[in-house]
Amino acid sequence: MVGDTRVAAPPPEVKAVQGTDELTERVLDASLVLVARWGVTKTALSDVAKEAGCSRATVYRAFPGGKQHLFHALGMRELASYLQAVLDAVDAADDLTDAVTRALVVATRLLQDHDAAQFVLEHEPGLLLPFLGFKQVDVLYAHTAAVVGPHFERFLAADRAAWLSEWCARLFITYLFNLDTEIDLAVVDQARDLVAGFVLPSFPPLPATTPHTR
Amino acid sequence: MSDDARTRILEATVACLGRYGIAKTTVDDAAREAGLARATVYRHFPDGKDQLITESITWAVAQFFTELAHAVDDAPDFATLLERALVHAHRAVDEHEVLQKVLVTEPERLLPQLTQSAPMMQLVIRDYFAERLVGEELRPGVDARRAADWLARMGLSFILAGGRWDLTDPAEVRRLVRNELLVAILVPADSDQ
Repeated sequence: MVGDTRVAAPPPEVKAVQGTDELTERVLDASLVLVARWGVTKTALSDVAKEAGCSRATVYRAFPGGKQHLFHALGMRELASYLQAVLDAVDAADDLTDAVTRALVVATRLLQDHDAAQFVLEHEPGLLLPFLGFKQVDVLYAHTAAVVGPHFERFLAADRAAWLSEWCARLFITYLFNLDTEIDLAVVDQARDLVAGFVLPSFPPLPATTPHTR
Repeated sequence: MSDDARTRILEATVACLGRYGIAKTTVDDAAREAGLARATVYRHFPDGKDQLITESITWAVAQFFTELAHAVDDAPDFATLLERALVHAHRAVDEHEVLQKVLVTEPERLLPQLTQSAPMMQLVIRDYFAERLVGEELRPGVDARRAADWLARMGLSFILAGGRWDLTDPAEVRRLVRNELLVAILVPADSDQ
């Protein structure tokens, strides 16, 4: 992938394979290329080994649990790096409207540019949707609230910040699956109009605090 | 007889999905359950099993929303309508035996099907909401058509999952609707203050 910036801290699953971090990353990078090309189902560990330029045994040494282990680690790595980019966008914002707008725009653009995720969304939705349906999506909302929420606390009380994060996750998912000809969340002005119009009126800014906080 | 048979087949197929699952239900199962000949099923669903499954799921979804509309139709205003719809829909999802069973056993088959009907559901709800927003006092600058589309999306989102909101608690649903979802859209009625 172009302009890819990896997060500094790998998720725990990856860390478990010690001393082989570089190899692990190479195997995951190779898997990502293959998923973008022909999906998760058709990618065998021997393909991954070939693409990574190592032996099948080496792949198994990095991921003793096999294909499932590898793809779990890949999903975790991609998700962590994705969330980090969204958090960076929030942290760089000057005000709440800007923070929410940037978060949505970055989340949308990164997903659009992620060839592997796009392949799975289009051709293997059955792999992804079980995480997004009914009670399972509550897990995603809770995770978003826990991870993104604190970054909104510059502007809002903690419980409001957590709820706003969940609301944004809902908004993002609905536009991901039900396209709208008039709203493209990758376009800054359209994303801003949407959140400023329908979401943020429920989130008045914190009352001005005493001078020593600023 | 034709429409009647069609509905009977769809209904029977949904029952079979609950019993045998999506992968294992056959055209024969549906015919037997409906008390019709296999040939009759094929006359209505010439493409066979895949068509039967897809159309029966779409039919069940449409049934769900028809019943939902019926349950909330007499609400006196839009805020009350939305509150009742969320409470009713949440309970209906929880109590839908076929849905709950297949969600556990074959989510990877069911959810792509439901996702395909989502845009259709959203349009139906949007148009219903747009109709019900007529006569409500919108905040200045709010476009009724855009607001209906947005609220349909949020309604569907909450029907799928409550998140941090307990949708079995009417007081909490009231806060969600009046203090969050409708704040940007409607001028509150006096009783909401």
